[in-house]
Amino acid sequence: MAQLILGQLLNGAIVGTLYGIIALGVSLTFGITGIVNFALGVFMMLGAYAAWYLTDTLHAPYPLAVAGAVALVAAAGWIADQLLFRFTRNDLVNGLLVSIGLIAALEGTALLAWTSTPKEMHHILPGVFFALGLVVPKMKLTVFAILLVAIALTQLALTRTWMGRAAYAYAQNAEAAQLMGVHTGRLQTGVMVYSTALAGFGGALYASLYSLEPTLGSLYVLKAVEAAILAGIGSIAGALVGGIILGVTEGVGSIYLPLAFRDAYGLIFLVAVLLFKPSGLFGGRR
Amino acid sequence: MGMRRSAALIAAAALAALPAGGAVAQEVVKIGQIEAQTGPLATYGWMGYQGVKMAVDEINRAGGFTVAGKKYRLEQISPDTRANPQEALIQLKQLLENDKVRFVFGPFLTNVFNGIEPYATQNNGKFLLMGGATAMHGMLGKPNHDYLLRTWNWDAGQSGFGQLLVDYLKKQGAKKVAMLFQNDAFGKVAVDIYSPIFKQAGIELQVELFEPGTKDFSAPLAKLGAGKPDYLFPGYTDAVLYDIVRQATETGLFSRFFLVRGSLAPGLKNKEAIDDYIAYLPKYFEEAEKKEPKVKAFVAAYKAFFKTSDFPYDQAPLCSSSCYDHVYMLVEAMKRAGTVDDVAKIKKELMSMTYSGLWNIRYDSTGEAVFDFDVVHMKKGGVVTATHVQPK
Repeated sequence: MAQLILGQLLNGAIVGTLYGIIALGVSLTFGITGIVNFALGVFMMLGAYAAWYLTDTLHAPYPLAVAGAVALVAAAGWIADQLLFRFTRNDLVNGLLVSIGLIAALEGTALLAWTSTPKEMHHILPGVFFALGLVVPKMKLTVFAILLVAIALTQLALTRTWMGRAAYAYAQNAEAAQLMGVHTGRLQTGVMVYSTALAGFGGALYASLYSLEPTLGSLYVLKAVEAAILAGIGSIAGALVGGIILGVTEGVGSIYLPLAFRDAYGLIFLVAVLLFKPSGLFGGRR
Repeated sequence: MGMRRSAALIAAAALAALPAGGAVAQEVVKIGQIEAQTGPLATYGWMGYQGVKMAVDEINRAGGFTVAGKKYRLEQISPDTRANPQEALIQLKQLLENDKVRFVFGPFLTNVFNGIEPYATQNNGKFLLMGGATAMHGMLGKPNHDYLLRTWNWDAGQSGFGQLLVDYLKKQGAKKVAMLFQNDAFGKVAVDIYSPIFKQAGIELQVELFEPGTKDFSAPLAKLGAGKPDYLFPGYTDAVLYDIVRQATETGLFSRFFLVRGSLAPGLKNKEAIDDYIAYLPKYFEEAEKKEPKVKAFVAAYKAFFKTSDFPYDQAPLCSSSCYDHVYMLVEAMKRAGTVDDVAKIKKELMSMTYSGLWNIRYDSTGEAVFDFDVVHMKKGGVVTATHVQPK
C-alpha cells in the first residue's frame, strides 16, 4: 500500500505540473488583462495536435516539433488577441464570451481537420525508471522536469527582466505603471501571446504522454482555473503548487475513495482552502 | 440552324435544371438520424452518419426506388446530438413534428436513448427508431415500444457475442479479470451485463469505474494491478483505450486485454508489449476486404465518395449499426410492404427478412439484430487471427 501511495504522490505531482503550466497562463492573463481566458485549453489542444503532426506526419525531431508547435500557437494567440481579446480587456464577461466562442470555433475546426478518432504520437522516449519499487515512464519524468524548468524560467523572467517587473507593476497599480512608462497595450498583448505559448508548450508535451482528441483541453483548463484559484491569482510558484496539490489530491484520493468521483476530490480541497483563505494559498490579503 | 440551336440550348438548360437521376417527379422518403457527430463520443455516430450518407447517395443516383408503382428518392436529415440527450430530444421532436420523418436511425449511445425514450414512447406507432443503444435491449417487446428496433448484437444470451467472448477467455485460462469502465450510463450497463456472465463462467471480476474524460490512468491501473488479474477489460471508446493500453503496458501492469467495444488500433499501437488482445469486432475489415467482394466494393466506394485515400479501418466496424446496410434493408422492406408510410407493415417486413450486405442481418423475435461478427485475437508482435462467427 505504501508503494501505491508513493507512486500516486509522484504521479500526482507530474500530472499537476501540466495543470500548473496552464494555470500559470490563466493567472498571468487575468492579472494583466482582466480576462479569464478559458480558451487556453484549446490553445493547448492546438499545441498538442501541432506537435503530433510535425512529429508523426512530417517526421520532424520531437524537440523541433515542440518548438514549432509553440511558435504556431503563439502566432495563433497573437491573432486571437488582435482580432478578439484586444476589445475585451478588463471586461470579464465579454472576455469570457469571446473565449467560449473561440473554444467552439477551434474545437470544431480541429474536428474537421483531424476527426474524433484519437491520435497517438509514437513513443518518444520509451521505457520506465525503477526506483524504490516504483515504476515511472521515462517520458513522464522528462516532461515533469521540463515543465518545472519552464515555470522556474517564467518566474525568473518576471522578477529579473524589465518587462517582467513592468507586468508586476501593472498588475499592482495600472495607472502608476503607465505613468512610469509601461506601454499597456504591448504588455497586455505580450502576456496574451506568452500565455497561449505556454498552453501550446504544455500541449506539445502532453502529446508525448496521452492520446489526442479535439476536446482534450477542456478538462485541463478547468483544472488550471482551479489550480490558479487555489494558489491565489498572480502567484507564479503558486500556480505550480496549486496544480501539484490538485494532481496529488486526485491521485491519492483515487486510492482510498471511489475513482468515479476523482475530479471532485480536488474541488473539495479547493472549497476547504477558500473557506479559510479566500485569496488562495499564496494570494495576498483581501 | 438558329432555331435548332436554340431548341438544343433550351433542352440542355432544362436537363441541367433537373435534379440528378431525373428525379423531378419523385417523392421523398426522409431518413432522420440522431447520432453524435462531434465530441468525445462521436466515434459511435461518425461512421453511421457517413454510411447512411453513402447509401442514400447510391440509391438516389441509381434513380431512387419504386414502391407500389411509385418512384421515391431518399433524403437524410442528420442533426448532431453531440451525445447530449437534451439536444437529441429537441432534434427528435423536430424530425417527427416538423419534418414528418417516419424512420429514425440511431442513437447508438445509451445516455441519448434514455433521454429521448419517454417522448419516443409517446409517439409509438408513428415511426420506427432503429438504433444500437445498449439500453434499448431492455425496452424491446415492452408495451408501447413497437417503434423500436435494435440494430446491434446483444452481449449476453446464447447468440450473444459477450457470452461467446467470455467462453473464449475461459479457454485461454483466465481466472481473474479487472474491468475498468467509464462511470456513465453505458459503463454501468456494461457492468450489469458482464458481472453475471463472468460469474457464470467462474471467472472472478474486479470492477473500477472512472470519470469520463480521464486521461491519466496510473491510479486505477495501479489499484487494479495490485490484485494480479489475468486480463484487463478496459472502457468502451478508443478515446480511452489508447491511453489505458499504453499506460498499462508501459508500466508492465498488464499485457493481456479483453474488449467488447472499441477497435483493434490501440492494441496494434502497443503490439510489442502485448501478449493477448482479444476483441469483439463486428467485422475485421482489413481481412474481409481481401475475402468479401461486397466489403472490397464498399471500401472503394467510400474512398471515391469521400474523396480520400484513407479508409477508416478502425471505425468501419461500427457501420454494423444503423448504417449503410440498414438503409438498403429499409428500402427493401418498404418495397416488400408496398408502402412508405405504414410503419407497422414495414417493421413486419424488416423482422421477417435476412439482408445480405456487408453483414448478414436479421432481427430476432424481439426486434434485436443478429448479425455475423469476428472474434479477433492479437498476439505479441501484432499477429492477428480472426474467427468469423455466424450466431444462431
